Amino acid sequence: MLIPFLYMLSTSLTAPGSELTLPPKLVPDPVVWNNYRQVWVEVNFLQYTMNSTFITMMDLIGMVASCAIVAYGLAFFEFRGRNLIFLAMLGTMMLPSQITMIPTYFIWKSVGALDTYYPLILRSFLGGAFGIFLLHQFFKTLPKELYDAAWVDGANPWKIFYAIYLPLAKPALSALAVFTFISAWNNTLEPLIYLQDKHMFTLPLGLLFLKNEVQNRMTLIMAGAVTTIIPVLFVFLFAQKYFVQGIASTGLKG
Amino acid sequence: MRKQGLWGFAFTLPFVLQLLIFFLFPFVFSLYLTFAKWDLFNPPQWIGLRNWDQLLHQKVFWLSLRNVGFFAVLFVPLQTMAALFLAYLLNQQLRGKSLFRLVFFLPVITPWVAGGMIWLWIYNNEYGLLNWILQSIGIQPVDWIRSGNWWLVIGSIAVVNIWKGAGYSMVLILAGMQNISKEMLEAARMDGANGWTLFSKITIPIVSPMVYMVMILSTISAFHAFDVFLVMLGDVISVADRNMVPNILIYRDSFLNFKMGSASAMAWGLFLIILIITIFQKVTEKRWVHYE
Repeated sequence: MLIPFLYMLSTSLTAPGSELTLPPKLVPDPVVWNNYRQVWVEVNFLQYTMNSTFITMMDLIGMVASCAIVAYGLAFFEFRGRNLIFLAMLGTMMLPSQITMIPTYFIWKSVGALDTYYPLILRSFLGGAFGIFLLHQFFKTLPKELYDAAWVDGANPWKIFYAIYLPLAKPALSALAVFTFISAWNNTLEPLIYLQDKHMFTLPLGLLFLKNEVQNRMTLIMAGAVTTIIPVLFVFLFAQKYFVQGIASTGLKG
Repeated sequence: MRKQGLWGFAFTLPFVLQLLIFFLFPFVFSLYLTFAKWDLFNPPQWIGLRNWDQLLHQKVFWLSLRNVGFFAVLFVPLQTMAALFLAYLLNQQLRGKSLFRLVFFLPVITPWVAGGMIWLWIYNNEYGLLNWILQSIGIQPVDWIRSGNWWLVIGSIAVVNIWKGAGYSMVLILAGMQNISKEMLEAARMDGANGWTLFSKITIPIVSPMVYMVMILSTISAFHAFDVFLVMLGDVISVADRNMVPNILIYRDSFLNFKMGSASAMAWGLFLIILIITIFQKVTEKRWVHYE
């Protein structure tokens, strides 16, 4: 399972041309860093990295904040339509994106948001089924007595949310943050549909089109692939625990 | 549970908007589009069942179903077995367990485009790693991804999908395995059960609900697979009919050919097929899944 990664790393450090000799060398001789410079500067992967970082961060903030608020509302309050929302939420997990993709594109087209980051970011601020479900399950495990005590002391529901329950939910919020980071960073379909201008490309999209741009030169493509993987790898290394727990407790991915 | 209903409604409002704008409207509109002709620029035209009729007579649609079916038949059992094996391995008292877990999980977090590019290089006809290995043991090189045999192309892509997905399924199964009590295994061992008996008579029945869930999730993901085919099949517009899969076809018809009606009919057709398969799996669940 590791061999493909080593192969990628080794090719990305190989002098252009010598990847086309057999046998393939595990440690390139000489080790060449120029592929990275070329991909970052000439093909603009530095720009793509910044674009991906911006979009991912916005998604992360929006998703964690909105899911926390909605999950709190579902877990602690009784109101008409609550069960309907819950049911609809589970329903959205079943619906394939191919069905909603065309009308959604139409919505963004109608408001003139094609070739902007809005289609990739704004929806995160309205919450998502996976995150709400995850946090709802977590809020359910927290004691209700805290709420009653704070209410008697005169705190309003909003204050009870951010002063009491939000700090308690940190483990679940971290899990959701890691999930959102990875799925936003890896997102391919939406950038592909919505972004035309090359300067706005994300890393996966840039990598997808890199092939045509560098005439299939594998040393450069592999340098691009490494660039795309490294940030998500770092996030995973630091937050591995939350990610694995999150999967095991819900059985779903973002 | 509080009865401050207005607060509850206010807190859930963002998601209600999400549901109405990005799920309810698209759901209804897309269903309507399956009966319409629309190029995205001019107003849609009602054409009745023509999209559906065309769909049933379109050869490439059936080819794409054959391919994704073959893909699922390879991918689901093989990935489940791989995940079961990896989980069993990690459940032993091994040294460096967390390192292994990280390695198994690495493909899961790798962006599809990057993972796909690596495998395109491995599968490369002339200079790829795989053919070099085959040649050094005396086997003729094979043009995996650009082969004229559809099953070789789809099969090669299924291998990539297993590599990418096994670690994720492993975590689910591992969570189930960690519930097996040491006492039970110990007692069985006392009674003379060997490793295989322990595995097949104790471990498998106990993790069977998790294995079942993994199979359902990976069946659905096989039919939803888009990214892997997008990267591995190359330029969408020039994908050969014999290698086509439904989601690439839907993408091509909608965003490259602007035939929104027939693309919508295809998306709904695929959705119905997935639904039927899932229901079938649910019905047969009781036959082999063990619940306490």
